Amino acid sequence: MTRRLILLLGAATLVGWVSVAAIAAHRLRTVINRDADRLMEITALFSAPGYALLAKRNPEADALLRIPHPRSFEDYWTMRIQVLKADGEVLFYSMEVPPKPFPSAPLDEGFRDTATDRIYTTKILDDVFLQVAQPFSFRDQKVKSATVKVFVPILIFLPINIALSWIVIRRSLRPVEILRREIELRDGGNLSPMGSSGLPAELAPIAASVDRLLERLRTALNAEREFAENSAHELRTPIAASLAQMQRLLAEIPEGQAKTRARGIERSLSNLGHLVEKLRQLAQAESGIGIADHAIDLVQMVRLVIDDLGKKPQFAGPIILDVDDCPTLMRKVDVELFAILLRNLIENALTHGLRDATTTVSVRTDGTIAIANAGPVVPLPELKAITRRFRRGATSAVGSGLGLSIASTVIERIGGSLELASPARGREDGFEAIIRIPRVATTELGVGRIVRF
Amino acid sequence: MRILLIEDDKDLGSAVREHTMADGHAVDWAKDLSEARGYASVVSYELALLDIHLPDGNGIEYVREMSNRLPSTPVIIVSARDQISDRIEALNAGACDYLVKPFDLGELSARIRAVARRHGQFPEPIFSVGKLVIHSAERRLYRDGQEVHLTAREWAILNCLLCRPGTVVSKGKIEETLYSFGSEIESNTVEVYVSRLRKKIGAHLIETVRGMGYRLVVR
Repeated sequence: MTRRLILLLGAATLVGWVSVAAIAAHRLRTVINRDADRLMEITALFSAPGYALLAKRNPEADALLRIPHPRSFEDYWTMRIQVLKADGEVLFYSMEVPPKPFPSAPLDEGFRDTATDRIYTTKILDDVFLQVAQPFSFRDQKVKSATVKVFVPILIFLPINIALSWIVIRRSLRPVEILRREIELRDGGNLSPMGSSGLPAELAPIAASVDRLLERLRTALNAEREFAENSAHELRTPIAASLAQMQRLLAEIPEGQAKTRARGIERSLSNLGHLVEKLRQLAQAESGIGIADHAIDLVQMVRLVIDDLGKKPQFAGPIILDVDDCPTLMRKVDVELFAILLRNLIENALTHGLRDATTTVSVRTDGTIAIANAGPVVPLPELKAITRRFRRGATSAVGSGLGLSIASTVIERIGGSLELASPARGREDGFEAIIRIPRVATTELGVGRIVRF
Repeated sequence: MRILLIEDDKDLGSAVREHTMADGHAVDWAKDLSEARGYASVVSYELALLDIHLPDGNGIEYVREMSNRLPSTPVIIVSARDQISDRIEALNAGACDYLVKPFDLGELSARIRAVARRHGQFPEPIFSVGKLVIHSAERRLYRDGQEVHLTAREWAILNCLLCRPGTVVSKGKIEETLYSFGSEIESNTVEVYVSRLRKKIGAHLIETVRGMGYRLVVR
């Protein structure tokens, strides 16, 4: 915007100045012509008495005389004078060449123009005339010289003017740049109002409008989250009640066909509960903002999630947390989305890894969190498609097919990267998910990325 | 153990209550916080299972209240809210564990045992004294290698004694444990059940401390 403004302003200034210079040049020509005419009249006026006297004393043609030319004034020097009779006989002349009447200049008093000269004629005796001639080329040269004198300062001052404009525009646009950065930060996850204090009067309404928009966005996001929470609650409690009642029924009825059916219903209810959880997480991941105002300790979050998953009876294998060189890892990410990300990746490792095998979660100071399990190698084509929704790998384990899709959505919101590797690094089997969360989230620059290899 | 269950959903509450009682615990079921406060004012509970969304208030506020008034009663939150911030808030308020609905009843039992054990209100998973081996989590008891079957009330009394082996457990405490089984408690009910238990595990293992109560002999 600054460059465009400077270019436009420079072009407008240039056009303006050239127009002014053109008008000035035209005006100069008029003034120079008028002054030159006056000079010719004055020359004739002061020369006339002397020439009249000479003409009376030497009325014959053999008295033809070349008169000396005053050389002190350039303007005067460019003039040629001749005194001639009414019949065209030249009595006196100031030219270098032999005299003859000025062409196309009848002996009428006043100014006449020929192809090359301006000629002034005045009667000094009854049949004697005085003519003063000046070439147009002289006048043109004068005009040209004056015009150049007007244009040169303009040409010198134009780049200075552009440089000054650039400085002034940059300084004037600084509040716009500040406002732009503030809006960009809000886009990065901070929905707090910007306020219009300190902004110029022209920009304050824009800041106020953005604040109103942020408020509406915040309200909408809160409403969406609240809805997701409430709907999850409304669904989860009846599913929990049905599952619990079914498990009580299973405890009471004897083995047989009815018990087999009851087990089927229990499984379906359990899967339904799991699916509701995943759909809610996906909705939250898609509507949530990954970057937070304040940094949280990711190691603490990892501990919490591992503690909870470690109590789940369906996950038999132990989870080892490796944080030897990284007691804390502070990052500005949304605590809920990070927990969802981690939970899904660890759950995925526990669900699809070998039963009773160890799942390792390692945290490093550079912001890398790796979750690795022991299990069959996932073929590359499968690995490439595994983050698609409802896409499940070639596994017999029960899963929704949403876990890695949720994880990839969250990592984009957080602004980190997710790499999926199989076999796991440093092993010949297993699967590894590697999260990298930079100190400054890349969503401020673009979006997070997902790499598979 | 005597457990206070606070859950407003009738279907879930009844199933949890039945399951927890089947595990050998005495359960009082409150449908809201005011009812829970009423129970807690007259009975001392070893553990509370608490929902967050309740008709008359927020369960986490009640956790804070319990932390101040009844610090010895551990609380397990059982909630449909699965946000990590809810979990953190509940644990910071004083809850010992957080279980998200829907859950497996077996997992609930495991968590109750783990929390109670941390608070000295649940016996070790495997306890052996003399020729007696008790698998408290599985509720199996072996005497001379032979399995001995106990009733729910007998398990409740044995658990009371197993929580603090070698320490005297008052008769009143055992009575409290038996109250929630719904039957009338008469003046000699505790003696009757202790007598039955002695016959099954060995009379010398339960010692009567006159005027004070009973204790499990661990020598």
